[in-house]
Amino acid sequence: MERLRLVAVVAGLAGVVVSAYLTVLHFQGVVPGCPTTGPINCDAVLSSRYAVLGGTSVPTSALGIVWFGVGAALWIAGWRRAIYAWTGAGLAFVIVLLFTEIVLLGAICLWCTAAHVLVLVQVLIAVTIWERERR
Amino acid sequence: MSSRRPVRKGATRAPVRKPVAGTPTWVMPAAVVAGLAVLIAAFFVIRWYTTPLPPKAPSADTTAQVISIITNLPSSEFDTVGQGTANNLIKPISGSTLTGATGKPEVMYIGAEFCPFCAAQRWPLIIALSRFGTFSGLLTTTSSSSIEDPNTITFTFRSATYTSQYIDFHAVETSDRDQNPLQTPSASDQQLWSRYDSDGTIPFLDFANHYSSTGAYYGPGVISGMSWLALADTLRQADSSQSKAIIGSANLITAAICKVNADQPGSVCSGATIQNLEKNLK
Repeated sequence: MERLRLVAVVAGLAGVVVSAYLTVLHFQGVVPGCPTTGPINCDAVLSSRYAVLGGTSVPTSALGIVWFGVGAALWIAGWRRAIYAWTGAGLAFVIVLLFTEIVLLGAICLWCTAAHVLVLVQVLIAVTIWERERR
Repeated sequence: MSSRRPVRKGATRAPVRKPVAGTPTWVMPAAVVAGLAVLIAAFFVIRWYTTPLPPKAPSADTTAQVISIITNLPSSEFDTVGQGTANNLIKPISGSTLTGATGKPEVMYIGAEFCPFCAAQRWPLIIALSRFGTFSGLLTTTSSSSIEDPNTITFTFRSATYTSQYIDFHAVETSDRDQNPLQTPSASDQQLWSRYDSDGTIPFLDFANHYSSTGAYYGPGVISGMSWLALADTLRQADSSQSKAIIGSANLITAAICKVNADQPGSVCSGATIQNLEKNLK
């Protein structure tokens, strides 16, 4: 497996771990280890109404488990077109979450940011591979 | 008829746009990062523009005037409003009677300056406690500008003192309006708070370990956009929505205090309004 794909798989698996951690804490009603004062405030983000999928008790982080898990599988399988679509969708969702954190809540959750960075890593690898294929 | 477009012999596929020769492969990923950075910067600008500014703090004279108005409301107004539109969130709890620094039954408050529900709850709390004693050192403030119900006008207990011949009052403001740590609950405060409010919801009120409540008895939206003095003036009108919410909440708090204090003083506790509310406290 080429090195970039390996990095993407590792990022995907790390994303599963981060999302699973946030999901477990959500159901335990515990705030993750993170500042809870000022603009960096996991509590303000994770206890907001945006922390669950609309009208349910399912935390948004559960969606992260699915996205990172499927993403890792796609990278292992090497299905390029599916990878491009999946990472594109992931980037779009990260932009929505960033808008929610910054504009609607005025607070940043460090654990969520870690997950966003892991999405971005995969997006950049996908773009790099796509760029190489075009040449 | 076939929907397929005819293909001319010898025709070539539409040319795919190729990257400019010599463009390094890092340019596209860098463009993605740059685009994302621009978006994030735009989000911060939008946030900055849409965050309302807190109202100007009243002068010392105006603050004194506001406090004088709300701590000297006529008893007839309390009777007229009754429970008003306040939600009775007071629940009975069991525990040995909590006493304060002077050995009297203690009312304990735990809240934070950023919290809009704490901001709302302080108004009826000050009004009710002022029927049993006297506050000094109350300062005006507002809840956070950056969370729901921004800039809710209120007072803070951070440097307030309370004296009464009937009860003790102990307040902890855990954070300032910018959510920076302010006051730390003592180990015994923390123990009671965890015991009777396991979620750590604020505002938390403990009435001598006989009753407790979490949350505000009315929504901060009721006083949204008002100045301190305008609200104080409005509280003199028993039929205003603010009076029904705030005086109604103050009556509930008064009833709980009367209940843990053997209905003393009679001038406050023996009226029909408070006696009726006490019956609802169980």
